[in-house]
Amino acid sequence: MSFIEFKNINKKYENAERNSVTDFNLAIEEKEFIAFVGPSGCGKSTTLRMVAGFEEITSGDLYIDGKRVNDVAPRDRGIAMVFQNYALYPHMTVEKNIGYGLRNMKVPEAEVQKKVNWAIRILGLEEFRTRKPKNLSGGQRQRVALGRAIVKNQKLFLMDEPLSNLDAKLRVSMRNEISKLHRELGTTTIYVTHDQVEAMTMADRIVIMKDGVVQQAGAPMELYEHPVNKFVAGFIGSPQMNFYPVSVSGKEMKFRDGSKVSLPDPVAARLNGKSGDLIMGIRGEDIKMDRASLEAYSKDMQKCVVENTEVMGNENNLYFTFGGSLTVARVSKYEVKMIGDPVEFVFLPEKMHFFDKDTESAI
Amino acid sequence: MGMAFFGPALVLLTIFLFVPMVLTLVFSFTDYFALNPGLTHFVGPENYIKIFKDELFVQSFVNTVCFVLIILPCQGAGALVLALLIHKVTHCKKYFKVAFFIPVVMSLAVVSTLWMQIYSPEGILNTLLHHVGIPAQPFIHSARQALPAIAVMSVWQGVGYQMIIFLGGLQAINPGLYEAAEMDHASGWQKFKDITLPELKPLCVFVFITVTIGAFRMIVQPMVMTGGGPSHSTYTMVYNIYETGTVNWEIGLASTMAIVFAIFVMALTVIQSVLTRDKEERHVNKKTKKG
Amino acid sequence: MLTKKQKRVNWALTIVLLVLSLFFLFPVAWMLANSFKPDAAITADMNTVAAFIPPMPGGGFFNNYVSILTNTNFLRYMLNTLFYAAILIVCGVVVNGLAGYALAKIRFPFRERWVLLILLLQIVPMETILTIHFLMIAKVGLLNTVLGYILPMIVNPFNIFLFRQVFLNLPDDVYEAAQLDFCSPLKYFFTMVLPMSKTVVATVSVFTFLNVWNDYLWPSLVFTSSNLLTAQIGLNSITSNDNTTMGQTLAVITMVTIPVIIIYSLFSKQIVEGVTSTGSKEG
Repeated sequence: MSFIEFKNINKKYENAERNSVTDFNLAIEEKEFIAFVGPSGCGKSTTLRMVAGFEEITSGDLYIDGKRVNDVAPRDRGIAMVFQNYALYPHMTVEKNIGYGLRNMKVPEAEVQKKVNWAIRILGLEEFRTRKPKNLSGGQRQRVALGRAIVKNQKLFLMDEPLSNLDAKLRVSMRNEISKLHRELGTTTIYVTHDQVEAMTMADRIVIMKDGVVQQAGAPMELYEHPVNKFVAGFIGSPQMNFYPVSVSGKEMKFRDGSKVSLPDPVAARLNGKSGDLIMGIRGEDIKMDRASLEAYSKDMQKCVVENTEVMGNENNLYFTFGGSLTVARVSKYEVKMIGDPVEFVFLPEKMHFFDKDTESAI
Repeated sequence: MGMAFFGPALVLLTIFLFVPMVLTLVFSFTDYFALNPGLTHFVGPENYIKIFKDELFVQSFVNTVCFVLIILPCQGAGALVLALLIHKVTHCKKYFKVAFFIPVVMSLAVVSTLWMQIYSPEGILNTLLHHVGIPAQPFIHSARQALPAIAVMSVWQGVGYQMIIFLGGLQAINPGLYEAAEMDHASGWQKFKDITLPELKPLCVFVFITVTIGAFRMIVQPMVMTGGGPSHSTYTMVYNIYETGTVNWEIGLASTMAIVFAIFVMALTVIQSVLTRDKEERHVNKKTKKG
Repeated sequence: MLTKKQKRVNWALTIVLLVLSLFFLFPVAWMLANSFKPDAAITADMNTVAAFIPPMPGGGFFNNYVSILTNTNFLRYMLNTLFYAAILIVCGVVVNGLAGYALAKIRFPFRERWVLLILLLQIVPMETILTIHFLMIAKVGLLNTVLGYILPMIVNPFNIFLFRQVFLNLPDDVYEAAQLDFCSPLKYFFTMVLPMSKTVVATVSVFTFLNVWNDYLWPSLVFTSSNLLTAQIGLNSITSNDNTTMGQTLAVITMVTIPVIIIYSLFSKQIVEGVTSTGSKEG
């Protein structure tokens, strides 16, 4: 049995019309860093709170370390949690906050001191140890919240959007710190976020949810390369994948505006004879404008006029309308274009994703 | 677990609020006499008829209404005027707030005792009146003057409380409204009429009702100063309840009076909530119409 | 920025207020000044401004106070009242606070109904059930006891509601974090909820103190004559004694007023906020 097992977990709030979480199944191994990701209201936080024990499980079974915990109080589940709004004890100093749980567990004072000092050291909170939360910055507060979680030696960390209240720069550095902590401590972690970048950069495995239903669970690159449906394809990756309604007949793909692209044999084979109206998706970086690509796929070359640009420095996003859809192409800094410039580009056929028009699942 | 937290309060609420309320209502229909409880009968609404035929009760009721009629305008309007003045001036604001509020924190017994000395025939007030050529007044020793004298003292003591409430209301008014009015060339009086008063209206209702209820509950001042006299001229409803119940032990009759008293007070509270809620609803309606 | 005309109006209003405030302070000043004088001096000064000026400190300056404190039980009554106030503050905060917390944060049957009931209870004037309280306390033989005095005063629907309103705004995640830190609900209430809500605890405590200290009706019923009297009842029994001089009377009421003035000067912010909040709730 895996370390944590979700078996047919359902959650329905009283007076709610629909389930908040439907038939959630997942096995998490020890030391894994799992991210639950999805848009707000997708049930990721609810699922986490069911693991913590703050929400009752309507039906199904939850096992932690081989033990069914549906009816176990939160404190007895062996978990530590980091909250979105930090949830620090406002009238206690940093030291007291971190040591509070240990003292309640009746750990000897010397041991408490040792652990608190350790946490304060590795989180770089030495100067702030006697401050109260209201005199700390957001990042420092989040460190205290982390410290409070790590001193207790629990076997499972739950993190509920812990970085969402921080500014962008701090978020990147805290992301690295949490990853580092996880590498050092090796504690199994479930991390909830609405930010797919956090999930992609930190997690061993990502569980992506929508409307209370798991869409796909897998390693970050697996989700990126092989999304099981249009939702996953669109949610993971930035800028968002481009989608075009197309009709395919044989080896020819026709866009709404009449543009045609021929599909090479391996791609056509992947379609497995499917034809008619489909949705084709392709990531911005797989729309190519360099000389080599243009030459390689010269007969399928398309032309457009740049409508908007996002200059990032290392690379740039070019926006133009193609096939009836706004398209974003991600090009290197050596292919600078201005608004109004004409561009020539090709799609990398082997990077195309196809989705059913109605079910939106990948083909 | 909720019940474990709420339990202690619930037990005390039951014993000291629910049960007494029910008992008061039940006893009001009996001739329960605490010194001889064995002889208690159910007498129906007889008590209610009896007390309104009782001259003393009627007088205590009239006295109470008189207190309200004097105190309400003086204390309500006085508090509003004081608050407006203090809000307006720029100097000594803090001093004024403290000066008018100090009598509020003093106890009724202290204030009553102090004013007995002030009102005494050879007291400081009569001395001051003498200086301006007014002959000595009997104040609380006369059936005609005792009630107004006590009422004036009550206003002196209580007005600071409502003044603070009004000041809070004045401070809560969005200063942008006055700035906008200034841009629209509104005069000082127009600003007062079109911004201050409408904004304070719900608070005015609240203050006037609480002052009325406060005056309705008058007992300690006459108890300490006049014993309800002279010739029952300052005898109030609550004083009557108190004496009937705890001195004469006529619990049945006292309960009837208490119920009548409670009906009046609760009716006032209901009127207040209706008046203020009505306001809110109209406000909301206006908003939705605009939208 | 004020114009010239506004400045003049401002000064005029300030003077009006100054005159009014003198009217409010004169009785208090007179009380204080004359509490240090023998009756002969009080009467003699009545005609002059000296009526509002205390005598020169010197021998016999505190005569009225000394005679009250030595010849009567007054100091004892003051201490009694302090003691009752302390008990009622502690019990009141615990009982009403726990109830307010349950009504705000813990799910239990009919919770919303209870909230409504507590709200409705506030409109019932206490004078209505005063007689029954007295009867009940008398029947169980608690007249003239501390317990009989205190029991009916602990629970207070208004304070329960006040606590509830404040506790509603407490963050839930702190409670969840505390749960994971092995903190029991009761411990959480005392070590987290109350310290996090210092303001409302202070407000309730201050108003409880003022209520207990200034209350007249209930202690006058419960305590007949004994060492248990509160300051207000003691004050009345001392001043209504014919042997008490006017100066002594003024000394007694000054002493009864000193604690509330101290409390007011220490907690004026809480008091003003408490008073204002009763208005803003409605307004």
